[in-house]
Amino acid sequence: MKRPTRTEIRGARAAAGFLLPFLALFLFCFIAPIGYALYESVLKTERTGALGLGGETREVWAGFSNYAHALEDDRFTTGFGRVLLFGAVQIPLMIAFATALALLLEAASARWVGFFRTAFFLPYGVPGVIASILWGFLYVPGISPLVELADAAGWEVDFLGRSAVLWSIANIVTWQFTGYNMLVLIAQLKAVPGELYEAARIDGASAWQVARHIKLPLIRPALVLTTVFSLIGTLQLFAEPKVLKPLSNSIDSGYTPNLAAYNEAFTSNNQHIAAAEAVLLALVACVLSFGFLRLVGQRGRDGEDR
Amino acid sequence: MSASDAQGPGTPRRAVLGGAAAVAAGFALTGCGSDDDGEPEGRKKGEKITLTFWSWVPGIDKPVALWNRRHPEVRVEVEKVSAVDGAQYAKMHAAIKAGKPPDLGQIEYPVVPSFLIDNGLLDLTRYGVAAHKDRFIGWQWQQSVFGKAVYAVPQASGPMGLFLRRDLFDKWAIEPPATWDDYAEAAEAVRRRGAWIETFSATNGNRFAGLAWQAGARWFRTEGDTWVVSLDDEPTRKVADYWDDLVRQKLIKTIPDRQNAWYKDIQTGAMASWLGASWGDALLVGNAPRTAGKWRVAPMPQWEKGGHAHANWGGSTTAVFAGTRYPKDALEFAIWLNTDPDSIALLIENGYGTPGAKKGYATSDLDVHKDFFGGQTYSRVFAEASRGVDTSWRWGPATDTLYQRLGDAFTAAVGNGGSFRSALAKVQGETVWDLKEKGLKAEAG
Repeated sequence: MKRPTRTEIRGARAAAGFLLPFLALFLFCFIAPIGYALYESVLKTERTGALGLGGETREVWAGFSNYAHALEDDRFTTGFGRVLLFGAVQIPLMIAFATALALLLEAASARWVGFFRTAFFLPYGVPGVIASILWGFLYVPGISPLVELADAAGWEVDFLGRSAVLWSIANIVTWQFTGYNMLVLIAQLKAVPGELYEAARIDGASAWQVARHIKLPLIRPALVLTTVFSLIGTLQLFAEPKVLKPLSNSIDSGYTPNLAAYNEAFTSNNQHIAAAEAVLLALVACVLSFGFLRLVGQRGRDGEDR
Repeated sequence: MSASDAQGPGTPRRAVLGGAAAVAAGFALTGCGSDDDGEPEGRKKGEKITLTFWSWVPGIDKPVALWNRRHPEVRVEVEKVSAVDGAQYAKMHAAIKAGKPPDLGQIEYPVVPSFLIDNGLLDLTRYGVAAHKDRFIGWQWQQSVFGKAVYAVPQASGPMGLFLRRDLFDKWAIEPPATWDDYAEAAEAVRRRGAWIETFSATNGNRFAGLAWQAGARWFRTEGDTWVVSLDDEPTRKVADYWDDLVRQKLIKTIPDRQNAWYKDIQTGAMASWLGASWGDALLVGNAPRTAGKWRVAPMPQWEKGGHAHANWGGSTTAVFAGTRYPKDALEFAIWLNTDPDSIALLIENGYGTPGAKKGYATSDLDVHKDFFGGQTYSRVFAEASRGVDTSWRWGPATDTLYQRLGDAFTAAVGNGGSFRSALAKVQGETVWDLKEKGLKAEAG
């Protein structure tokens, strides 16, 4: 075996030095909380003393009973169904919309590209809570000019009603994130070598054909990336329903899985079940994202084979 | 003003909505309990200390400032906490778990037991609280008594009453309803004029509890060391059926109360009355200033003609947390805050409901917003109601969870047309489950 040279040792030390801050933060802010959540999720509180008041409180091993409890709670499982429905509708719409905007802005004939790119991207700079408050004002009857306009036109709308409120939330999310996704797609479009377009044009391809057969296949990785981010974001929906909840008569405490876990922890003061719900949520997010990646990965290879 | 869910007088609506942003604060916790079980050493003579006091009551800093002027050695620092959606209690529970609670906290009556199962509050009898018992209204005192222990000092309560737009009722020739039957008729009459008499806010478990309380319900009692939950009892069913019927007939709205749309309705007269509580005067004054002079307060409608059954909505205590290092001084402050005439005067000025103290003010002092109510001495209505409150009502542990369950069940019922009555059975089952999950013995009554 060859002994490492001095330069190699120095190189390794430098690498470790650069990695250490990241690893420390990663451990502290990521691995540790996950470990703590896992730990909390397998415990439960046992109380002694008459009526549980003024007695001793102990944390004891609970096995998977918190998980069972979470899955038995129809509030929690309904919330899951709800965000999945939300994702099935909102993600394709938003990604399609973002792609269309990106292609338009990157088209040769586009004007004022810088202005529009910034304008579309701007909502992403607004924090989710603020965006929800803003839209909240546009949804509340009696205050919202939109509702007033609709009323004047003889059209009765209730943005916060049972059938509409999920899509009112979808609207906020779309408003916020379309520009961001568009920007990711544009970045990938910029990376496409110009010769490809030239070659296509020489071959007589129309703008539409260039978009369909050159641009779209080449930004595929960016499309996959934005979809996975959106998928995870959808499962973690929280701020929007949380802010709209007091305004609406149709958002319950388990409207989304994240909201259910939050309320379990901070209203019911039951951290153990909340931890179990959070772990379940993370698992589902994992399965769905990796499942999606695998799915598109396989299709991608099939495409290359052809 | 003392109910946390009653946004303070003059609290701008925007602030209320924006308050949700404060929710994020609730996340900042890591759990590590302190194992320090020793008796706190207390303050040495002449030592200067600072006590922290978590409260959301608008203007609470004024009596506290007065205390600080008079007691330079025991400084009290108010830390304002958000009262949106129970965020203040989330923060308190988290602080207890983290082993760093404040010394004192504002806690509503229904929520006191949920802190006991965390051993979060100090049993004040060890520090001589019993000597002050007679200075407080009996039933308010009793709300914080469990076994022989006393866990909090009463501040104020919220006997319920019916706020109504006298001008509109007169114009439409509708009598203020004396019974619930009258009320249903009035609802129909108001509806014929294109306005609404009220909203059934599905998520307002607090008020629904008050309505059930008035009808004679007892949601919680104890048998031996077991909690007995009887949410699905006859009186509560009667109340649920009644409101279910009004909702089905579309005689009342179902929007959430005390939110933007509701404030707008109150300002424009689209909603002609409100079943509120004594702290509600400041709320109306603050949010519908242009309707000044048009409101009156009437007693809550009765189930039996000529009856005198009343209920309470809201009201809170000053509690001392078990983690405090200076229990004696904290208790002294809590007693002073709620009994000293100068302190009470400042609290009344800011509108805090019906005092828990017996002395130190005159009933007429409570008519702070007399002009708004056309010169009516409306505090008499609430004083009368306070005497008619069924004092045997008890709160159980996990009331905040119960409200949430109730809110969820009513939200579903309003949305999909299920009956309110079936919501009660569901919530009763869930509550028993919740209590058992907390490690308590519980059964359905």
